Amino acid sequence: MAEHTVASFDEDLRQISHLIRDMGDLAGSMVGASTKALLNSDNALAQRVVSDDAIMDARQRELDDRAITLIAKRQPMADDLRNVVGAIRMAGDLERIGDLAKNIAKRVGSVGVSTAPRDLSHSIDSMAQMVLIQVQGVIEEYTAGDGTALAKLRNDDERIDVKYTSVFRELLTYMMEDPRNITACTHLLFCAKNLERIGDHVTNIAENAYYVLTGTQLPANRPKQDETAMSAPAA
Amino acid sequence: MKPMLSTDLNVTDTAVEKAKIEVKNLNFYYGQSKALKDINLSLPERSVTAFIGPSGCGKSTLLRVLNRIYELYPKQSAEGQVLLDGKNILDRSQDLNLLRTKIGMVFQKPTPFPMSIYENIAFGVRLYEKISKAEMDNRVEQALKRAALWNEVKDKLNASGQSLSGGQQQRLCIARTVAVKPEVILLDEPASALDPLSTAKIEELIDELQADYTIVIVTHNMQQAARVSRQTAFMYLGELVEFDRTEKIFTSPREKRTQDYITGRFG
Repeated sequence: MAEHTVASFDEDLRQISHLIRDMGDLAGSMVGASTKALLNSDNALAQRVVSDDAIMDARQRELDDRAITLIAKRQPMADDLRNVVGAIRMAGDLERIGDLAKNIAKRVGSVGVSTAPRDLSHSIDSMAQMVLIQVQGVIEEYTAGDGTALAKLRNDDERIDVKYTSVFRELLTYMMEDPRNITACTHLLFCAKNLERIGDHVTNIAENAYYVLTGTQLPANRPKQDETAMSAPAA
Repeated sequence: MKPMLSTDLNVTDTAVEKAKIEVKNLNFYYGQSKALKDINLSLPERSVTAFIGPSGCGKSTLLRVLNRIYELYPKQSAEGQVLLDGKNILDRSQDLNLLRTKIGMVFQKPTPFPMSIYENIAFGVRLYEKISKAEMDNRVEQALKRAALWNEVKDKLNASGQSLSGGQQQRLCIARTVAVKPEVILLDEPASALDPLSTAKIEELIDELQADYTIVIVTHNMQQAARVSRQTAFMYLGELVEFDRTEKIFTSPREKRTQDYITGRFG
């Protein structure tokens, strides 16, 4: 893309895009650290995630300020306009991912006191890996300007939904097997749900990024595979 | 590169609308120099169309072809067709006075006649119609009301038109245009010499006038084009590069040249 006649306009846009990349990196590291802290009962690591969330919030506020100032000063058009509005929305989703990672981290103490079944940790771990790949991938593809990869990445969220359904069922089974598992499993259930929600935010980011890059919207009906509502035990 | 034509507009509301003006294979020459190259364009009735593009792209030239005002100058010629309600206005048999009552024009610099506010409006009406004093009073009042100027001048209709502020003078020119009951109004940079408040009044006026008139506006102010128009045509070096719904042009234009121009990446 050619430079703007007004060079400082390019600099303003670069700073916004830099902040999005920063927030994306931070979100990835928070998601990875929160699950690791949970599975290893690592309180110190959990604490780091909580303090990272404050940094994430500050970045989002900075991005909002810069984006609004840019709109007021430059009146961006076409791809510039999509870029700035897209950045505001993506930053909102990244900030929510930070919140959800913090929620996972805050459960570390609670799960740690009771024993979680070994196999169960494994399932959560592999779900977390899937989510982490999505979080890292979405910012990577956005930065690379690859619309096709973003459309695929958005559809890949289906795999996380399927995984969530299976973790949910597995947890129910453990709880039925041994009531002493209930406390740990309930916490882990919330964690799995948070991971699934993070996946949804990643799809929002992918949709926004796709629109920023192409000027067209992806079709509204994304595949949705969360079947836990169907498999909940009858009251 | 083939320009986007109005027939390509992917939107039903403009697609089904009647075209007020259709420009077909229009070429325009200043002496030997070709200023418009094979322009094809369809302007929907009762709607605002904006022409944008860098200086010298041909947008004002195209506007000046639409009421044949270019003929006031020597060595300028147009080829092709400009159909107003299906009738070619470039035809030699076209009565120019009649054409200019149907297609009014307002220029960048306000051009009130050196006469009273009342006479500025009555003068043009008298050229075409013989009406009583009472009817004329009514016509002047209606035109000034239409141009949102009545309240500011109703107590000084005998004052000189040139005593008004720039923004008021421009609205007086619009009132003068409206008074002869045109069908199309051409606006050539109507607000570029005005302060923001006067500009806002002109834009509000354009918005109201489109209920009754087909309006074409040439503007260098892209935000203005985005605000007031329903369709936007981007021109460059005498070519029509892209023509589409205004929101499409300003959010995701198809042509790279359009994008570079409206985002300030030109040259």
